[in-house]
Amino acid sequence: MEKREPFFWLTISCGVIVMAFILLPLMDMVTAPSLSMLKETLKDRDVVRSIWLSMYTSGSAALISFVFGTPLAYLLARTHFRGKRWVESIIDLPIVIPHPVVGIAILSVAGRNHWIGQMLGDLGIRIMGSVTGIITVLTFVGLPFYINTVKAGFEGIPPRLEKVSRSLGASMSSTFFRITFPLAWRSMVIGLIMCMARAISEFGAVVIVAYHPMIAPVMIYERFEAYGLKYSQPVAVWLVLVCLCLFLALRILTLRRAREI
Amino acid sequence: MIRRHMIETLVVFSFIVSAALPCSVGAEPQGKLILFHAGSLSMPFEAMEKAFEAAIPKVDVLREPSGSQKAARKVSELNKPCDIMASADYQVIDRLLIPDFADWNVRFATNQIVLSYTDKSKFSKDITADNWYEVLQRKGVSWGHSDPNLDPCGYRSLMVLQLAETYYKQPGLYNKLIAKRPKENIRPKEVDLISLLQTGNMDYAWEYLSVAVQHGLKYIALPDEINLGNYQHDDLYAQAVVRVTGKEPGTFMDIKGNSCTYGVTLIKCAPNREAAIAFLTYMLKPDGGLKVLKDMGQPPFVPCRVPTEEMKARLPVELKGLVEVKK
Repeated sequence: MEKREPFFWLTISCGVIVMAFILLPLMDMVTAPSLSMLKETLKDRDVVRSIWLSMYTSGSAALISFVFGTPLAYLLARTHFRGKRWVESIIDLPIVIPHPVVGIAILSVAGRNHWIGQMLGDLGIRIMGSVTGIITVLTFVGLPFYINTVKAGFEGIPPRLEKVSRSLGASMSSTFFRITFPLAWRSMVIGLIMCMARAISEFGAVVIVAYHPMIAPVMIYERFEAYGLKYSQPVAVWLVLVCLCLFLALRILTLRRAREI
Repeated sequence: MIRRHMIETLVVFSFIVSAALPCSVGAEPQGKLILFHAGSLSMPFEAMEKAFEAAIPKVDVLREPSGSQKAARKVSELNKPCDIMASADYQVIDRLLIPDFADWNVRFATNQIVLSYTDKSKFSKDITADNWYEVLQRKGVSWGHSDPNLDPCGYRSLMVLQLAETYYKQPGLYNKLIAKRPKENIRPKEVDLISLLQTGNMDYAWEYLSVAVQHGLKYIALPDEINLGNYQHDDLYAQAVVRVTGKEPGTFMDIKGNSCTYGVTLIKCAPNREAAIAFLTYMLKPDGGLKVLKDMGQPPFVPCRVPTEEMKARLPVELKGLVEVKK
């Protein structure tokens, strides 16, 4: 057998440590609740509702990111302008801001003491303690993940192809929809997954804006405080399982299609 | 900065791989002192931390504010290392920590429930101690309280509403008020409501007097008969009963009203017992921590109290002189 370099063994051992680091605590959590406990939890309407609300709100956040983020990601991938670095840094801001600060910041523009809040109030839109508020927060924290992923996707498509299309007389928009979009849609799906994954895990900002209605992470927190670990773990397990299935399905779907192309 | 972060992550690594931390034994008070306390004690404890660290610079006080129940659960269920736990309701210590995690429970301060607001709150010019329950029912007024299932301030706020029904002779008042308060206006801790008041998302919030004073909020002080601040009215307060969630989902238990009485205890498996006793000695002194509490709107018991001689006997020697036995 050919002799491996020590570097090879270094990569392997680091890999094992990283896997153990991620899996040990999670395995512990996932295996802690008994099967009957898991079944019982699933019968609890509040739990199902909160997991559904989590899916719904983070999915909405991902869709909003898709609508508003895609053109911006395209712009950033294709053009160079003064202050581009600034724009990129601003897009990354939600990643670094502590979560409760995000919540307070959103509440302060949504309150009656702010003109935006007054305007929203006149329109009958409520941010505090509403699904709208939760989606607003989740979009805020998820948007950078979508934009950055999709920007990288656009950058990977040779501008040459677009130039050919344009030189043959296609408009910018039809070039985008007929050439760029079909080539970049996989990165968009990955962007949606990243954005939704980030949104689904958000707790700190949401609990400030909306405690009720409860998304799953808030319910896990509430269950832990009110009843202890035993009753919060099953909710967490279900959330992890649902997310795992969803994201796995999306990945398999996109990978298979990619191979076909 | 990054290096520090890496080192800490490595520590977490090794922590997960190795076993739990054992109780340590030391001599001179030094090192880290971990303090779990009720959210409403944040400001006085911050001031005490500064004063204590100035006197004993070798000790680094690490405070973790949270709901009192959560603080107890962090000790009893997560086995998080902790030296001292201070609760906004001394009964939380009796219920969740004694006898497994603590031996005694010293009552050190009182508080009361007030209705807090800002000058931008709706009808802030009209509201008084006589008409507040009518203002809260007006159209467009948004008010809230903390979660009765998680936070003593939450169920205490509800008790005040119940007691008000009798005191102001307004039959049905409690139900009418609760019907006016959407679930969305509930928050986990009473301090969480402050940012809602200050950003204009809420008009009125039920708070501890101390929290209102410390955050510079306006507030309506209520009569002693309903404010849960005077333990001489404990019999009256006991007429208020709030149903909160029990030990598991779907179960409930009733909590009877009593005066807001704060309790503190030393955790049995305290990683830094010496520093903890030094801090408690400072905290329970009339010219030390108790004075800080008094200055911040939280009337202390001078001296502090334990319910029985037997419990006093279990106190560390250093603290025995600072405590009296009183029911």
